[in-house]
Amino acid sequence: MTHTQKRIIANNIVMVLSTTSALIGMGFLFWILSVLIINGVDALSFSIFTNEGAPPGYENSGLKHALIGQFMIVGVATIVGVPFGILAGTYLSEYGQKSKLAETIRDVSDIMMSAPSIVIGAFVYSIVVAPMGHFSGWAGSVALTIIMLPIILRTTDDMLQLVPSTLREAAFALGAPKYKVIMQVVYRGAKVGVLTGILLGIARVAGETAPLLFTSFNDNFLNTDMGEPMASLTVTMYNYATSPYEDWQKLGWAAAFILSMFILSLNIIGRLLIMKRKEK
Amino acid sequence: MATIVNVTEEKALQVKDFEFTYAGADEPSIKKLTMPIAKNSITALIGPSGCGKTTLLRSFNRMHDLYPGNNYKGEILFKDKNILDAKEDLIDLRINIGMIFQKPTAFPMSVYNNVAYGMRLKGIKNKTELDDRVEKALKNAAIWNEVKDRLKHDADGLSGGQQQRLCIARAIAVEPEVLLFDEPTSALDPISTSGIEELIVELKKSVSIIIVTHNMQQAARVSDYTGFMYLGELIELGRTEELFVTPKEKLTEEYITGKFG
Repeated sequence: MTHTQKRIIANNIVMVLSTTSALIGMGFLFWILSVLIINGVDALSFSIFTNEGAPPGYENSGLKHALIGQFMIVGVATIVGVPFGILAGTYLSEYGQKSKLAETIRDVSDIMMSAPSIVIGAFVYSIVVAPMGHFSGWAGSVALTIIMLPIILRTTDDMLQLVPSTLREAAFALGAPKYKVIMQVVYRGAKVGVLTGILLGIARVAGETAPLLFTSFNDNFLNTDMGEPMASLTVTMYNYATSPYEDWQKLGWAAAFILSMFILSLNIIGRLLIMKRKEK
Repeated sequence: MATIVNVTEEKALQVKDFEFTYAGADEPSIKKLTMPIAKNSITALIGPSGCGKTTLLRSFNRMHDLYPGNNYKGEILFKDKNILDAKEDLIDLRINIGMIFQKPTAFPMSVYNNVAYGMRLKGIKNKTELDDRVEKALKNAAIWNEVKDRLKHDADGLSGGQQQRLCIARAIAVEPEVLLFDEPTSALDPISTSGIEELIVELKKSVSIIIVTHNMQQAARVSDYTGFMYLGELIELGRTEELFVTPKEKLTEEYITGKFG
């Protein structure tokens, strides 16, 4: 066998192995998605969006309470997390730059990004839920904010740093003060990237369950008081899917489907934005 | 000692015993440099890479202040004031001394807003006045005919040469007294380059210009005075036609005849 033939055989073996692995991975993804879509669409009905939870066996039970609870918990987390994340990212990129403090914040937030979310849930349980004496929607939002913050902070930092320094210099050269350079030139240059980071941050926390079990807990009925325990799609799904009642299991599938589609669309929009930015 | 020709015109800037050291560097990048800059003229700075010409240029609008730890010594006089003074208002300074960069730096906004940017910073809010001055600046930068129908369009859509002229329009719109050009054509094609060169010559009627260039022909084509720098020092400043034909310093002669650099 010549050297060239050996190389061709080795090449083919590696190619087959890597392609098979890729197909197996993809296979699981499509398996999950197809089971989810089949069961989810089957469980979906208009009344799911208009009715609250009900004891097993009752007709017309729905997910309205979980959808509204999810929306409120994630919404508050976003309203708090996004401005803080963007401001902190702005500090890192524009003020802290390569300073010791900035580098430390970067390292810490990288660690926080990979921290198990259940640990963050337990932490919020001890600082919010335990002193308050009960679970609450606020506590859920606090946990999700903590999870979201490092994601938005680091993407903002990265995206702002991608804005060429000559663009900043050009604005300074026209006599712009620093805050105007940042707000009018740097933010504009990075807006698509920062927006992508926000979407991916929301997508990340919207699927969290463990921290909510510790914080917002659950409620089988509609509650819009953030000071009280609150339903969320994820915890509702966990409860319904593991219950022995068939009608609840069906609602669990519906919740899984709605949640997945929401997160999938956020991810797709995020990716489209990234692609659009690269075209420029 | 450097050979410095007697500048007969009024001076726009006067550099005296200027030294500049980058943050963390042991040696100054510019050493004891003295140099007059003539008003309403074009002064070209030439020299091999690393000679300090861009460093000197960026000192005139204190661009180095954007990065911590850089150190200036000596004097750069502008309107009888030392701009290196710690009390100098950098915003004011940069409105008076504008800068054009190597790569076009169009802001991510419309053509109109790009040109209006500096004027808005100066506090001009009146729509009619802004419109008039945007049009005037674009006309002076010889780009009005190309962009007059797309003022509201994103400046990103313009070609490199157009963007560079847009940047010049933006810089002259605030009516500076001095304009600094940092290799303004090195990223452009020959046609755009000659357009920018003509524009620079035209602009000297109203502003004093300093241009850093790697291209000796460009210096010869556009400038009135040429300064040759080497290893952080000014070797020779002469009237351009004299410096290129009969350089006084041996180093200058070697550089312009291509013996090094």
